[in-house]
Amino acid sequence: MVLFALPLGQPLVASGLGALSLAIDRVEHPAFAVRDLKIQFPPGGSASVGMGRLRIGEHQWRNLQLVCARGSLDAAVLRCEQGRLRVAGAASPLRIDFRLDLSDRSGELTVLARDGARVQVRLLPNGAVEADVRRFDLATLKTWLPALEAWSVLGRFDGKLSWQPERSVTLSGRLDGAGFGSSDGLRAAEQLVVDVGVEALWRAGGWDWSASSMWREGAAYLHPFYIEAGPQLVARGRLQGNGLDIVEASIRLEGVEQLAASATVDTANGLVERAAVALAGADLAVVGPRWLSPVLAPAATERLQFAGHVSGALEFAQGRLLALDAVFDQAGFSLRGADGGTGVAFGPLSGHVPWRESGATRAELSVGGGRWQKLALGAFEFAADIEGERVQAERIRIPLLDGAVVVDGLVLNRGEGGWRGSASLVIEPLSMRLLTDAVGLPSMSGVLSASMPGVRVSPGEVALDGALVISVFDGYLQATGLRLQEPFGVASHLVADIEARHIDLAQLTDTFSFGNISGFVDADVRGLELARWRPERFDARVVSSAGRYPRRISQRAVQNISALGGPGAVAAIQRSLLGFFDTFGYREIGFGCALRSGVCVMSGIDDGTTEGGFVIVRGGGIPALDVIGYNRRVDWRELIERLQRVIAGNVAPEVR
Amino acid sequence: MKFISFIGAFLLALSLSASAQGNLEIDSPAIGALQRSMQQRHTQLAPLYTSGAVGLAADGTVALRDASLVPLPQRGPVAALIAAENADRGALYREIARANGHPEWEADVRKTFAQRWADRAQAGWWVQKDGSWVKK
Amino acid sequence: MSPSLRNVLLAGLVLAASACVTINIYFPAAAAEKAADRIIEEVWQLREGANAPAQPAAEGSKP
Repeated sequence: MVLFALPLGQPLVASGLGALSLAIDRVEHPAFAVRDLKIQFPPGGSASVGMGRLRIGEHQWRNLQLVCARGSLDAAVLRCEQGRLRVAGAASPLRIDFRLDLSDRSGELTVLARDGARVQVRLLPNGAVEADVRRFDLATLKTWLPALEAWSVLGRFDGKLSWQPERSVTLSGRLDGAGFGSSDGLRAAEQLVVDVGVEALWRAGGWDWSASSMWREGAAYLHPFYIEAGPQLVARGRLQGNGLDIVEASIRLEGVEQLAASATVDTANGLVERAAVALAGADLAVVGPRWLSPVLAPAATERLQFAGHVSGALEFAQGRLLALDAVFDQAGFSLRGADGGTGVAFGPLSGHVPWRESGATRAELSVGGGRWQKLALGAFEFAADIEGERVQAERIRIPLLDGAVVVDGLVLNRGEGGWRGSASLVIEPLSMRLLTDAVGLPSMSGVLSASMPGVRVSPGEVALDGALVISVFDGYLQATGLRLQEPFGVASHLVADIEARHIDLAQLTDTFSFGNISGFVDADVRGLELARWRPERFDARVVSSAGRYPRRISQRAVQNISALGGPGAVAAIQRSLLGFFDTFGYREIGFGCALRSGVCVMSGIDDGTTEGGFVIVRGGGIPALDVIGYNRRVDWRELIERLQRVIAGNVAPEVR
Repeated sequence: MKFISFIGAFLLALSLSASAQGNLEIDSPAIGALQRSMQQRHTQLAPLYTSGAVGLAADGTVALRDASLVPLPQRGPVAALIAAENADRGALYREIARANGHPEWEADVRKTFAQRWADRAQAGWWVQKDGSWVKK
Repeated sequence: MSPSLRNVLLAGLVLAASACVTINIYFPAAAAEKAADRIIEEVWQLREGANAPAQPAAEGSKP
């Protein structure tokens, strides 16, 4: 190719004796330039071609010497066989053969590298160039494209190139064993096999091109995405100067019906100035885990599941997201609990979520239902105003059993560390019977409702200031200071203070089949911490309610209380008396339990105790009976197991 | 003599103030759960610390320092592992502050931990100091 | 005033001052460090591990 331009240079100068020598000061061409070209034919049939300086594109080499074992200049045909190239005195691994017909500018050039790479170039009289490339080492590309230096490109290329200067270029071939990697490893590919085809036509100072590629083997990691072979690309556009326009690219990707993109790239610095992506009919079950989880919830990719379809569009400029539109069609999302619990799920949901970098948008979703733990949520509408990183919704009413959870004035802001915001929450009355049935507790009558005007969301905590009230067993139970801490992590737990007043023991013991106790109690549970709905820590105190009412305790209940304490733990019951009476009178009931690290530290009505024990039930009336506990430290899990055993053993009502 | 007794009093005062400061509460169930979760994950993270793929960042998190040290198909899972570890670490710092009744201590707890993770890292692990990675 | 009485008063004063310092809501850095070490030892299994670093918490360098 260098010599192809020879006639463009200055006149040949022949000199010497017996040997032919040509010297040319400079050869200029838009693509390359040569200084101090010397061609010598020493006697003996060899030839040597020397170049003081060769420039191709931005690259420059000094002192190149091609020594041909056999060379000749016959008529207008310049020939070199088994040429060895030396650059700045050092041998290069290239073997070069060429034959050039200077009269019609045609010829052939073969470059052979020691690793087996071969480039065969044919110059046609009409100025066209055809090249056949075999096993071309892509690592050598970095010599030509310094931008690739940081990418450790490797692999080889086999293919054909044909070039009609200022008219057309076509390239087709296959990249094999190809790969690249940025120095931090966040963008890399390995073992790629890719078929590529490019056609370009010269028009008005630029190239109108079309390209296609098929990714057959290998995998890539483009942080945080891992992509395997399969995608196919068809694209067209224009290249003018440093501006690369991708007018239309359509990509076939598993799980996506249609994916199209367009972009403008500055090839000088590799910057994507503008890009737009549109997709239709993406199957979330396929696309979600690969493309959404790594971005939305990298810490919970295993627990997040998708279903349904999404279509949408994205717009970027200078690497920033300008606009996003997502249209969901019967989509479903579920997040399993970090503890292996059922977690939370929504769907099928349909609707449109738009977002703009500047300006407000409104998202509207209609949600067919959901699930939270064991509770099924009803269908609801969700509408929110989105502006930047702020989401605002007036009212969300989620039906739950025969009531509803209503969130008003929700405002969320995404900032450093996560989402912050506030809302007010109301639980419209739910029947306790439905609720207890749904979560698998013994059926209780009563009503649950809540009014929590001060809901505050911060990273790691949802605080629900207000009260949740359950009217049950003729009294009520009120939870205040509710805090949902680390809601999405392994340390997820619920904190609250519970106050129960006037709980009818007759109904309570009947519900849990615990014998029979008549009377009422008040309970205070301070600092209750629930993890996976199991208490981890609290300070509880239960005492008989004030007032006048019948106070009887059945023999069965006494036995059950005794059994709770374990063998011999609760004593001082006069067994001989037990046989004669079904019920006993009592004056008061009172006990406390401080749960710490799995151990419940028990206390009785008061700590002034007899013989080291503590009184749980103080007798009164006839016949009277005291229940005294002696074991102050009770293993909580054991206590619960005993309680379950006692309840299970008492399912049938006791008839005497 | 006077001087010595002064020093004595001073040291006594110091030791008293140190003991009066006592311990930070770290025995809550939530902290225990986080600790177990992180301990389990550590068997996966330890080889990554050793290889240098993952380092201990100055903000008390772990960071993907050099993904090229991880086989390509593992880079996604390793990124997820790091995200999960950092979620636990964030929760741990918040929980310790909370368990001691001072949620506003979170940043201080985080800073203290960042320092101690780095100090106690094994030789050969990478820690972040003044914005750059240093091999211990 | 005898020197010993003065010392006692001085010590009392210092103690009182330090007592004031301890009843504060400033972050207890030393305690936090100890807590961090306990958790780190647990998470990294440093206590029984054979490859525990040679030097324990650098207590000697603390004032």
